[in-house]
Amino acid sequence: MRNGQIIKVFAQLRDLEIFDAEDQLCGIADDVELEGAPGGALRIAALLVGPGAYGARMPRILARGLQVVAGRSMVRVPWSAVDHVTSRIRLNKTARELGLLAFERRLQPLLRRIPLS
Amino acid sequence: MGGLVEILLGIMTAVGGFVEVSEATFAAQAGSRFGYSLLWAFAVATVGIIVFGEMSGRVAAIAKQPVFALMRQRLGLTLGLFTLAASVVVSLITCAAEIGAIGLVLNLLVGGPYLGWAVLSTSVLILTVWSMPFKWIERVFGLLGLVMLIFAAATLKIGPDWSQALKGLVPQFPFEASRTDQLAYGYFVVAIFSAVLFPFETYFYSSGGIEEHWSKKHLMVNRLTTGVGFSLGSLLAMALLINSAVLFRPAGVDPQQPGTLALQAAIPFGKWGLAAALVGLLMAFAGAAVETCLSAAYSVAQFFGWPWGRYKRPGETPRFTLAWVGAFLVSLMIVFTGIEPLKLVEWSIVSSIMVLPLTYLPLLLLANDRSYMREHANGPIANVLGVGFYVILLVVAVAALPLFVLTAGGQR
Repeated sequence: MRNGQIIKVFAQLRDLEIFDAEDQLCGIADDVELEGAPGGALRIAALLVGPGAYGARMPRILARGLQVVAGRSMVRVPWSAVDHVTSRIRLNKTARELGLLAFERRLQPLLRRIPLS
Repeated sequence: MGGLVEILLGIMTAVGGFVEVSEATFAAQAGSRFGYSLLWAFAVATVGIIVFGEMSGRVAAIAKQPVFALMRQRLGLTLGLFTLAASVVVSLITCAAEIGAIGLVLNLLVGGPYLGWAVLSTSVLILTVWSMPFKWIERVFGLLGLVMLIFAAATLKIGPDWSQALKGLVPQFPFEASRTDQLAYGYFVVAIFSAVLFPFETYFYSSGGIEEHWSKKHLMVNRLTTGVGFSLGSLLAMALLINSAVLFRPAGVDPQQPGTLALQAAIPFGKWGLAAALVGLLMAFAGAAVETCLSAAYSVAQFFGWPWGRYKRPGETPRFTLAWVGAFLVSLMIVFTGIEPLKLVEWSIVSSIMVLPLTYLPLLLLANDRSYMREHANGPIANVLGVGFYVILLVVAVAALPLFVLTAGGQR
C-alpha cells in the first residue's frame, strides 16, 4: 500500500506498529488526523502517537487513570513521512527526526550507567 | 546440519521449559487424588497448546506480528487494554508462585530461610536476564530444565500399570463418585487445561520468534518445536501424574508442596534421585519465572509500541528493561506478603483460564487473514482444531470460577 492509495483508515491503519527508516519500532498509530472540508475530499493529515492520542479513544475514567501514569504527550507524524503500509507502517524518516521515542532517549543514558547494559 | 541442530535444540528447549510449578503441582495432586483418570486432560490440553503455539509462531514468522500488537488491532483499544492488564496480573502472580517455589526447593536442598532464598534467586535471575541475549536465556533454562527427565526415568523404574494408564487417556467423568468428588474432578480438569495452556507461554514463544527474526524458512522449526517439543514436555508432566498415582495415592499423600514432588525420584533412585529431582524442579521453576516476567514486559511494550527485545542490550530498550525488572520486583513483593505458593498457583490458574479466550481470539483471526498470512493462513485442519479448542476454552473459562469457589480450590 503506497501513499495516495485508498485504504480503510480505521481497519488498516489505526493501532498498527510504526517502524522508522532505520527499522526501529517507534510507536503505534494511536490515532489518525484527517483533514477536509464539507463537499471536499477527506485526506489523512497525520498519525498521532502517544498517550495524548490514545487517551481520547478510551472511556474517560480509564483515560484519566492512564494519563496519571503515562502523561498526555503526543507526537504528530505528518502523512508525508509515511513511506508505505503493510502489516506495519514504515516511515521514510528516523524516529529522532520526527520527535518519536523522546522519553526512551531520555532514559537511555541513565540505564547505560549500569554495567553490561 | 545447522538446521538440524537448531531443530533439536528447539525441541529440547521446549521439553525442558514445558513443566512449571502449576503443571507440576496439579499433575501430582491429580494423580494422588484421582489415579490415572485425569491423564486425558493433559493429552487434550496439549493438542490445544500445540495448535495455538504453532499458530502464534507462524504469525510471528509471516505477519511479524507479536501477540499484543495483534490484540490491540483486533480487540480494539479498550478491550485490548483490559486483556493486557489481566494478562500482566496473571504473569505476576504466576512469577510470584515460581519464585516462592524456588525458595521452598532451595530451603529443602540446602536449608536456610525461604524468603532469603527468594530474594537471592530473584537477584540471580535479574542478573542472568540482564547479561544474556534471548537465545541464551531460552536455551540455558530450557536445557537445564531437562534434568526434570529424572521424573520420567522414575516412571519407567517404578513400573506403573500401563494398561490402566492408557485407559486414563480416554476422556471420562466419575459419574459414580460423590458430588464433592465430581466437582473436584471438574476443577482439576479446568486447572490442568489452564496450566498447560498458560497464556504467557504463547506470548513468550511468539515474541521469541520475532526476537530471532523468524521468516518463512523457520516454519518447519516452528512446527516441530510445538508438535514434538510440546508433546514430549507434556509426557513429562504426565509422568509426574503417573508417579503420583503409583507412589502417593496408595499412601494417602497429598503433594501440596512443590518439594514433595522430589520424593517421586527419591523413592526409586535414593538420595541422588532426590538431589536431581530438586535441581530439575529448581531449573524448571527458574525458567518459568524468567518467562513470566519477560512475557509481562513483552506484553506491555508490544501494546504501547515501545522498543523491546532481549536481542538488544538493556540500555537500548529502557522502558522494556524497566518493565521486566519491575515485574521481577513486584513478584518478589507478592512472595513477601506471605501468601503460600500453592495459593498463588491456584489464583494464577483460575485467572489465567479466564484471560485465555481473549488471548487466543486475535491470534485465530489473524492466522485466518490471507491479506497478512497469504498462503500460510490457517488450513482446514488448523481451523477445525483452532475453533474447536476455542469453544472448549470458552466452556472451561466459564466453569473455572464457580468450580474454584465450590471446591475451595480443589481442597474439598
